[in-house]
Amino acid sequence: MKSTEAGQSSLLLEKRVLVCCGAGGVGKTTVSAGLAIAAARAGRRVLVVTIDPSRRLAETLGVKSNLSQPVSLPEESLTKAGITPPGSLFAWVLDPQIVSDGVVRRLISNPDDAESLLANRIYRNVTAMVAGMQEYAAIEALHGFVVNDAYDLVVLDTPPSRNALRFLDAPTRARSILDSRVLSLLVPEEGNLIRQFATRLFEEVLDLAFGRDARVDIQSFFKLFGRVLGHANKNQEAVQEYFRTKRVGFLLVTSPAREALSEAYYFEKKTREELGLNLCGYILNRSTSFALDRALPDPSSLPAQAPAELRRALAKLMGAAETERDTARRHAELAEELRGRKESVWVLPAMPTSPTDMAELGSLGDLLGALMSDPETKRTSTNLSAAHLPETGCSCP
Amino acid sequence: MAFLERRIHLITGKGGVGRTTVSSALARAAARHGKRILLAEIGDQEGGYSAIGRHFGVEQLMPTPQELEPGLLACHLWGAAGHELFLHRILPGALVRTALRSKALGRFLLGAPAFHEMGVFYHLLTLLEAKEPDGSPTYDIIIVDMPATGHALALTALPRILLRLVSSGPMAAAVRLGLSYTTNPDKAATWVVTLPEQLPVTEALELVQGLEDTEMPVGGVILNRYPENPFDPDEQAALDEWMTLKPTHGELTWRRLAYSRQSSKRLQDSLEVPLWTLPEIDNLDGRMDVALAEELFGLLEGSL
Repeated sequence: MKSTEAGQSSLLLEKRVLVCCGAGGVGKTTVSAGLAIAAARAGRRVLVVTIDPSRRLAETLGVKSNLSQPVSLPEESLTKAGITPPGSLFAWVLDPQIVSDGVVRRLISNPDDAESLLANRIYRNVTAMVAGMQEYAAIEALHGFVVNDAYDLVVLDTPPSRNALRFLDAPTRARSILDSRVLSLLVPEEGNLIRQFATRLFEEVLDLAFGRDARVDIQSFFKLFGRVLGHANKNQEAVQEYFRTKRVGFLLVTSPAREALSEAYYFEKKTREELGLNLCGYILNRSTSFALDRALPDPSSLPAQAPAELRRALAKLMGAAETERDTARRHAELAEELRGRKESVWVLPAMPTSPTDMAELGSLGDLLGALMSDPETKRTSTNLSAAHLPETGCSCP
Repeated sequence: MAFLERRIHLITGKGGVGRTTVSSALARAAARHGKRILLAEIGDQEGGYSAIGRHFGVEQLMPTPQELEPGLLACHLWGAAGHELFLHRILPGALVRTALRSKALGRFLLGAPAFHEMGVFYHLLTLLEAKEPDGSPTYDIIIVDMPATGHALALTALPRILLRLVSSGPMAAAVRLGLSYTTNPDKAATWVVTLPEQLPVTEALELVQGLEDTEMPVGGVILNRYPENPFDPDEQAALDEWMTLKPTHGELTWRRLAYSRQSSKRLQDSLEVPLWTLPEIDNLDGRMDVALAEELFGLLEGSL
């Protein structure tokens, strides 16, 4: 493996935020953890954040979810993953309720108002839902990290790509609510008779839909929540602007499956053309191109004295073996197809099981660090020597 | 309770396990049995990428159902469509038009947390309730390609959360009506799709638990892409040695056999709901062929 030199591994060594996007089931969470470990091994102070509601990352890293702030990984985990000072690794599985409560307390200066929002029935129930609120909360948390300069690098694992777009849109949507005159309808200015009349009408519509009691709750919720959004919105605009700078890199994680790729291409277009974000390349996960130059298990190539059961087994395996050979070719072609889109491509090999402990994640980090620090490996598929990877993963085309 | 006798089927599971493939295959098979089927997906944005559309060679789906094949319609469940339908229900027509022209209201409904999901729920309910002039349902069966685990659970938990907040009025009535479909095992079933791999199995087990916690009737777990084992014990021992010596093509398949068997056993040991296993097929375009779709359909139709 080549040494990790600055300039070559600019993603891991120079970026301040890395965002992993992609379809569901492509291995984003594992890749995020691997990237974070790679950067920590290179001596950076790294935080890996997941807003994935399945909370898989916490499990793999051995930290608790639902904490109100990031936690350092236990010493033992760091050692297993090969992270030594000055490198360090923190993890945070975002709990929308806790992040959101924190935001409310911080942004509403009057403690009575803050507590009355926290106790509001709508607030309590809506925040507990993943939808929407989680994205607001995540943006808010990110803003804190960016402003405080608390970490050298934040690696962000996102929900599947269509939701990741929602996440990126969150500031715009928050602004939509604020811009909308609906909020001022809910909370009329005193003395403005036209407003008051309009509010009365609006209230009647809400009464029709929800009933009076619920309407009053909704009104008080939006009255207080509008203030939170007002502040959060400023932060979100700052974050969105920050996300467009070179300090932030977006990585598209994909598997070789056609459907995952379609989503990735869609996302590529979105991020670059519509959102103006800094796309750094593809991580093609679960590729079997490492098996490209293997032989077929041809029973006729066996010596005459080979046992009959082996001969039978290889004969049965031939069909699947030919499919595997074709798949390996297709995966190699796919990497070329991605490079044809003028993107950097890092290829990770298919593994029989996902890494479930820190040693295995450490090996993945090792591999990612090596791939990303070596411009050649971008071109030549995989250059593996990580200990836990199947020995099958060691051949280089 | 056979598959064709229920009104609504929700298909969920971890990302990448083949939810859309299974949903589309079931819809196709059910339509062949003479039922009028609506296949619905839930998206975050209008006119975005459609996973179902890909299966049928259609770029995108609309909130209004369109016929893809004889007896098989598809649509995109969309918050704004539900909002509009709901406004029509509670307001005089002229007022609805005024409200819908209001950009402020539109943006508010799009941005406020949970409003999109409420709209999706109401849109689905309206489709369930749609009737032909003779009083029969417009769609005999609605099959919903649900989002992945976390988002699916957020959606299935929503109606009860709403009822806690709003106990009377048309919204509450709509939620109760919706629940009378989705929580009734005679009318609805939720199917969890998974793969014979470690993480998908773990997530499937959690998802079944989560669905039961939100009182959704779980029809069963569909173990997708389960590889057949053609080797006897002697052959396996011989292969073991062969692959350790020098891996050849076929090694990945051979390894996967062992992991798949472990995963299947774990499901069998832990599940209290039925488990159906689908064989592996090599379909490069992600479609499920007719024969396999019929096989899956036969399994589910014959269930219970």
